Amino acid sequence: MTPIKSTTRKTLTYPRRNVDKGYTDQYLDVDLSAGTIATGPIEEKIKKTFIGGKGFDLWLLWDALKGDNKWDDPQNAICISSGPMGGTPAYPGSGKSIVTSISPLTGSVIDSNVGGYFGPYLKFSGFDALRITGKTKGDTVVVIDGIEEKIEILQIPGLPEDAYALSDVLTDHFSQGKKVGISVISAGPGAANTRIGCLNFSWYDNARKRVRYKQAGRGGIGTVFADKGLRAVVARWEQVSLKTNNPADLEALKTVARCHSREIVELDPKQNEMARLGTVHLVPIMNDFDLLPTNNFQYGSHPGASLIGREAFEKLFDPGYDGCWKGCTVACAHGVKDFVPYTGAYKGRKVFVDGPEYETIAGCGSNLGIFDPFTILEINFYCDAYGLDTISVGTAIAFVMECFERGLINADHTGGMELSFGNRLNALVLIHQMASGEGFGAIVGQGIRRMKGIFAERFGADPAMLQDIGMESKGLEFSEYMTKESLAQQGGYGLALKGPQHDEAWLIFLDMVHNFMPTFEQKAEALHWFPMFRTWFGLCGLCKLPWNDIVPEDNKDTLEPAKVMKHVNWYAEYYTAVTGCKATPEDLITMSEAVYNFQRVFNLKMGYGTRDHDTLPYRAMGPVTVEEYASRQERYDTELKEKYTVDLTGKDTPWRLAELRKRREAQYETLKDAVYQRRGWTANGIPTVETVKRLGIDFPEVMAVLAKNGVK
Amino acid sequence: MVTVDEQTSCWQEGLTVATLLAQLDDGHIYAVVKLDGKLVSRPHFDTTPVPDGARVTRIPMIAGG
Repeated sequence: MTPIKSTTRKTLTYPRRNVDKGYTDQYLDVDLSAGTIATGPIEEKIKKTFIGGKGFDLWLLWDALKGDNKWDDPQNAICISSGPMGGTPAYPGSGKSIVTSISPLTGSVIDSNVGGYFGPYLKFSGFDALRITGKTKGDTVVVIDGIEEKIEILQIPGLPEDAYALSDVLTDHFSQGKKVGISVISAGPGAANTRIGCLNFSWYDNARKRVRYKQAGRGGIGTVFADKGLRAVVARWEQVSLKTNNPADLEALKTVARCHSREIVELDPKQNEMARLGTVHLVPIMNDFDLLPTNNFQYGSHPGASLIGREAFEKLFDPGYDGCWKGCTVACAHGVKDFVPYTGAYKGRKVFVDGPEYETIAGCGSNLGIFDPFTILEINFYCDAYGLDTISVGTAIAFVMECFERGLINADHTGGMELSFGNRLNALVLIHQMASGEGFGAIVGQGIRRMKGIFAERFGADPAMLQDIGMESKGLEFSEYMTKESLAQQGGYGLALKGPQHDEAWLIFLDMVHNFMPTFEQKAEALHWFPMFRTWFGLCGLCKLPWNDIVPEDNKDTLEPAKVMKHVNWYAEYYTAVTGCKATPEDLITMSEAVYNFQRVFNLKMGYGTRDHDTLPYRAMGPVTVEEYASRQERYDTELKEKYTVDLTGKDTPWRLAELRKRREAQYETLKDAVYQRRGWTANGIPTVETVKRLGIDFPEVMAVLAKNGVK
Repeated sequence: MVTVDEQTSCWQEGLTVATLLAQLDDGHIYAVVKLDGKLVSRPHFDTTPVPDGARVTRIPMIAGG
C-alpha cells in the first residue's frame, strides 16, 4: 500500500486528566456531522447510578436520542466505555469495552462486550466513555492519542477495505514504533452492506508480532459504524501497570487479584483448559446433552460433532499466550496460524484466524450441517475481515438452508444456488455476497426478521412456518444453544433486554441437567439474579469468564454453588479496592438492577420493551415439525403422559405435536408472569414506579416514558 | 488403581465412569469428567469403561457462555 495521506478535519488538544480510583469523570463527544470534538463531565450522581461501561453508554445514548429516532439517523450514537476496573492488568478478564447503540436489527438498544485494548486505552487517555454521533462522507478515522493529548478527526482515502488489512495498516501508521500501544476499532465491507455488521477491536500480540482481533459482534453496531462513514477509531497509549487505574487501595487490589489469578492458573488446566483451548470444550459437551444446535436448531446432536470439537481444534490452535488484555490468566482468545483460505480475496494466502470460539463453531458449523473445521475457520476469517457477526451469519444461513430444504424458497430465489444443509461452498458464496451486498446474500444480510417478510411477500412462503423456524427474537438472531428442553433458558433468551444472546443468562445446565430450579418461582429468581450479576461485568469493564468458567474445588460444598459466591465476594473486594466505595455482593446486584431497569425503560422509549416483545419462535420452545417430534418421541410422549396426564392412545404425531405446543407455549407465558413479578415489573413487562424509585432511576424523563405507557 | 482428582481408588474389572462416581459421596452432582484427558459427559457415563491406572478429573458444573 502507498503511504497514508491524511487530511485533518478537526483537532482538539487537551490536558489529559489522570485516572482516579478507576474513573476520569469525563467523556469524549465526537459529532461527525458538525466535525466537532468536545468533552463533558460525568457527575457524581451519574457515576453512582450508572457505574460505568454499559451504564455510561446508556446514559449518553439516551441523552442523544428521541423516541422516534432510527438506527441510521445521525442522532444515533455509538457509545464505548470500559468501566472503573477496566484496564487493571493483574486481575483476570479486566480489559473489556462495552459498545452500545441503536441496532439496525432490533430498532432498540443493543450492547456488546468485547476484548482488545481499546476501552482501557480510551480511559487512560482521559475518558471514561466515548460517544460518536453524526455522519460523514466516509474515509473518516478518529484518533485518540493519550500520549500526545490530542484528538483528531482525519480523512484518509485509499485505506484497505477489509478489517484484517485495515487494522494492520493503521497500527503500523500510528504506532511510532510501539505497536502494542495501539488499538483500532474497524468494521468492513460486510458491515456496510448488511444489518449484521460487527466491530473488530484490536490489540497487538507482541509475541507473534501481529495485530489480533476480538469482535463486538451482536446487533449490527458495525453497520451503524459504517453508516456513519467511519473507517476506524484509533486509541494510542503507553505503558500500563496496576497503578495506572490509580486504585483506592493498591495493596488490597494486589491481594485479591493475586488470589483469583493464582486460582485460575492452578485449576484451569484441571477443568476446562480455557488458556489452552478456549471454549471449544463446549462442543462435545453440548452435543452429548442434545444442546448443540444442528440444522437450524432442529436437533441438538450429530455424529459429526466430534470432527469440529475440542480434539479437532487443539491440533489447529497456535500455542502461546492468548490474553485479549494484559495479564489475563484465562487467556482464551486462541487462533490458527498459517491458515490458507480456498475462496475469496485471500485464496491461497496464509492468514491468521482469530478464533473460532464455541459460538462460531456451532453457528457456522453444526447449525449449517457443516462438520469440517477448515470451512468453519474460513467462515470465521471472512466474517471478521468483512465485519460480520458470526452468530447472526450462522443463524441466518441456517434459517435459509431449512427454508431451502422445505421448499419455502428455491433456486430461483437464491440466484441458482443449492443451499441445503452441509453445502459449505455455497455457504461461503453467500458470505462473500453479503460482504459485497450482491445477489441472494444481500437479502440474507438483512437478518432473519426481514428475510421472513421478503420470503413471505415476494416468494410466497408460508408466514406461519417462517415464524416458527426463524430463530430471532426482538429482531436479533439467536446465539448457539438449544433451549427446547430448558424453560429457564427460554426465559434467558426471550426476556433478555437486547434479544436472544446468552450473556444475560445461561441457565441450561442448572435447569435441565442439574434441575436446580424446578418451580416457576425458582426459575424467576434465577432470571433475576443471574442477568443482574452478569450485567455487572459490563458496568465495570470485566469479562465474566473468570467468575464461573473456572471454579474453586470446594464450590460444590457451598450453599449456592451456581453463583460461585467465593468469586462474587472477590469481585466485591475488587470493586471496593479500585473505587474506594465499600461494596457487598448484594450491592453489586443493586448496581446492575438500576442499569438493567433503565435499559428496559429505554426499550420502552424506543417503542419496544413490553410483554409482546418478549416472544420466542416456537422452535425455541419445542418441536415444530413431525420429524422433530419423532426424533425425540419418547421424551415428548413421556412429558405429555406424566407431566400433563394426557392419554395418547390412538393419537397420531401431529395431534401430539399440537398438544405439546399448547402446553409449552402456556408455560412460557406463566414464566413471563413470574419473572416480571420478581423484577418488580407490571404484567405487561414494564418497571413499576416503585421499582424505578427504589433504584434511583426516577429521572423526570424516565417517569415521562412510564407515564406515556400507562405506568403512574 | 484409579486416581480421581488427587485421591486413589480401587480399580475392578468392568468399572465404568458411572460406577466409579457412584462410589463417591458427591459423585452424583457431576455432569462431565475428564478421563485420561478426554471429556466424558453424563449420557455416556454408563457405557464408558475406566481402565486400570486411569486418571479421572471431575469437572465442576458447566457454566457455559
